[in-house]
Amino acid sequence: MELQAMYIQVLALILLIIGLATVLSRRNVFFILMGIELALNAVNLSIIGFSKTFAAAASVTGQIIPLFTIAVAAAEACVGLAVIILIVRNQHSVDIDNYSNMRG
Amino acid sequence: MLALIYFIIFALIAVGSALCVFLSKHPLYGAISLIVTMLSLAGIYGLLGSPFVGVMQVMVYAGAIMMLLAFVIMVLNGANDNRTPRFDKVSLFVFPALVVMALLIAFAFFRAQLGFDSMAVKGTVAISAGTLFDTQNFGYYLLVEAVGLLLLSAMATAVILARKEIGSKPENENSEEVH
Repeated sequence: MELQAMYIQVLALILLIIGLATVLSRRNVFFILMGIELALNAVNLSIIGFSKTFAAAASVTGQIIPLFTIAVAAAEACVGLAVIILIVRNQHSVDIDNYSNMRG
Repeated sequence: MLALIYFIIFALIAVGSALCVFLSKHPLYGAISLIVTMLSLAGIYGLLGSPFVGVMQVMVYAGAIMMLLAFVIMVLNGANDNRTPRFDKVSLFVFPALVVMALLIAFAFFRAQLGFDSMAVKGTVAISAGTLFDTQNFGYYLLVEAVGLLLLSAMATAVILARKEIGSKPENENSEEVH
């Protein structure tokens, strides 16, 4: 009974589904952002798990790519939080159902 | 065998705290649960033989991004109107769709024959950073520069978005501009 490559993919799939469920069913805007982060983490885990199924050079490439994913996630969180600050300042609400009137 | 035991422990912590993110009422509790998920994922990266990615996960994700998110939650008081129900009738359609999607992906996984390659390179700090910052060959050096430009433009975008009107006065003279 050893650690299989399939277990990592199953864990990544579970985390991805929980993240997507958080994005699609919660109404608080912070939970939506956290669900996106959770889904991104699951994708990183999947990339690492797949990179271990390749031989020498390809496995190094598969372990470099998540670093760029993390950097892009940092930029995404930066801009996303700025948008949230702007919207909450205008609407005085963190509930996304109040954001449905896109005026001004 | 020992690797499997450690993996199961980390996976249980990760899934449990991800469910805490999904079910918690206050956004700050969700943020702390998400930090626990990221730390246990960093442990799994180290277990798989990618300690450099694990360290970056702890430093950038758990350290920088989640600190920023928790800070904004505390500044904006993210739970001040949380009266709306967490799960409404849209969720009745969301959850079966997600379950069907998970089953489809799991079917694709179990059709594929995955297995660890024994020739896979352990992504130590020397190998990962040496490949990433290699200026002799092409490597990933230009991509690192491009990521730096991306982060700079994201920071400029955040500053422009989150300030009030450009060139506007504060509402009253006594109010203190904190941003």
